[in-house]
Amino acid sequence: MFHDLNVPWPGAGADAVRELQRTVAFLDELGYDVVALTHTYSGKLPSELTSPVPNPLSFPVPQRLRVLRRCNIFLTDSASNFRIPQLQQHYDLVAARPTDERTLQQACHSLDVDIISLDLTRRFEKHFKFPMLGAAIARGIKIELCYSQGILSSDPQAKRNLISNATQLIRVTRGRGLIFSSEAKSVLGIRAPSDVINLASVWGLGSERGKDGLTKEPRSVVEHARLKRQSFKGVVDIVYGGEKPVSISKDKQDGKSKAKNQNEKRPGETLESAPARRTEPKQVPKREQKRVKKANLEAAAAAQEAA
Amino acid sequence: MVRVKFRYLVVNFLYPEPSSKSRTDLPDLVQIHSPTPDAFNAGALVRLIRDAVEDLYGDYGSGMVSSSLKVNYYSPSTSTAIIRCPRDHYEMVWAALTYVTRLPKVDVPVVCRVLRVSGTIRKAEEEVIRRSQNIVKRAKAWEGRGADPMLSSVEKNVEKERKREDVLAAVDQGEESEEMSE
Repeated sequence: MFHDLNVPWPGAGADAVRELQRTVAFLDELGYDVVALTHTYSGKLPSELTSPVPNPLSFPVPQRLRVLRRCNIFLTDSASNFRIPQLQQHYDLVAARPTDERTLQQACHSLDVDIISLDLTRRFEKHFKFPMLGAAIARGIKIELCYSQGILSSDPQAKRNLISNATQLIRVTRGRGLIFSSEAKSVLGIRAPSDVINLASVWGLGSERGKDGLTKEPRSVVEHARLKRQSFKGVVDIVYGGEKPVSISKDKQDGKSKAKNQNEKRPGETLESAPARRTEPKQVPKREQKRVKKANLEAAAAAQEAA
Repeated sequence: MVRVKFRYLVVNFLYPEPSSKSRTDLPDLVQIHSPTPDAFNAGALVRLIRDAVEDLYGDYGSGMVSSSLKVNYYSPSTSTAIIRCPRDHYEMVWAALTYVTRLPKVDVPVVCRVLRVSGTIRKAEEEVIRRSQNIVKRAKAWEGRGADPMLSSVEKNVEKERKREDVLAAVDQGEESEEMSE
């Protein structure tokens, strides 16, 4: 199961869609199984956060391929609110791209994202530190290395920066918690999984770890994100809940509960929602018994007086 | 007597992007596996690898690699090649191939994909044979199934092309079908 979790979404124009179709077909041919289409929010987040990627896609997708939707948010200012819970509703994966030291620290320690994706073509003024990145990895956030910038870019300085940043990240994280993805602006930036593993081993990551960076680690990201959205508190998930019982008797119950509602019962006490025990005739509480008894006695006394 | 140790790389050239010259809109799978232009021969391939290694690793890399670099097998019709390189530095050649984006001379965008790394040329050859057998099998399966959506879309495109330039109509037929079976 090879994953490529960063394929930029080119937009909705006819040419762009054709290009994307070509990209998806090529990814399938190279042997990838899971692909995430990325929509990038640059600058301020718009008020409407729905994903521009249609679901299902407008062209036939190869059968084996699973297509996810992901968004990138630029962290330019650590004080602003990123509305991550809303983003999580609309996208399968949420990735953060820190631009400076402080936002990187924020993303590692407190932000609730799935992936930290760094722009490796620029030069970072400070070295990466293990305590910071280690905290992110311990929280289950993976760090992403995008290789296609180094292949396609015409600027030799960008290529050099990518290699130096990649080797540095591999050294600092001790090879743990890294995922490799393409971020290919065109089809030509995509490489076969084995080629990527070789690149990783040239950059100083063992080929076993390199393979993990394409298979195990991204899978754990995808599953973790899915559990966060679907399951109960990220712990319990129902894989198969069984079939629903035939709903003949349900109509009757509905009628009854409606009748109850008309009898000015609280809606919370309808037959369906309350456990079975509650529907039996209620025991009258002791205090109530006493009150009734007292009232009866008083009434009797009053009657006697009147007589 | 100790032999010099080599590694043999089985390399496949893929063409995901149609070159600007062709106007036909081939189905993606056929486009990806289209044949290499004839102008690109084995000598050009060696030069390409040497330049790529020099680009990525500089003089040191090209010195280490060039002594035993050789193209043992090259087939433009299936876009497959077997490349011999020194065992200690085969990763350099592989990485250099990964960084290639364009074929020189013919100027076609390309993606190189290493299919197999082998210690003996025999295993590399077996891999090439196995691959081409697979392709033939796939093509035969299509034939047996009758109307295949992919094949019919190729035919439709060829038909469209023919209408555009009806002078060539009589000659084209054989060539087109041959390309498919490969």
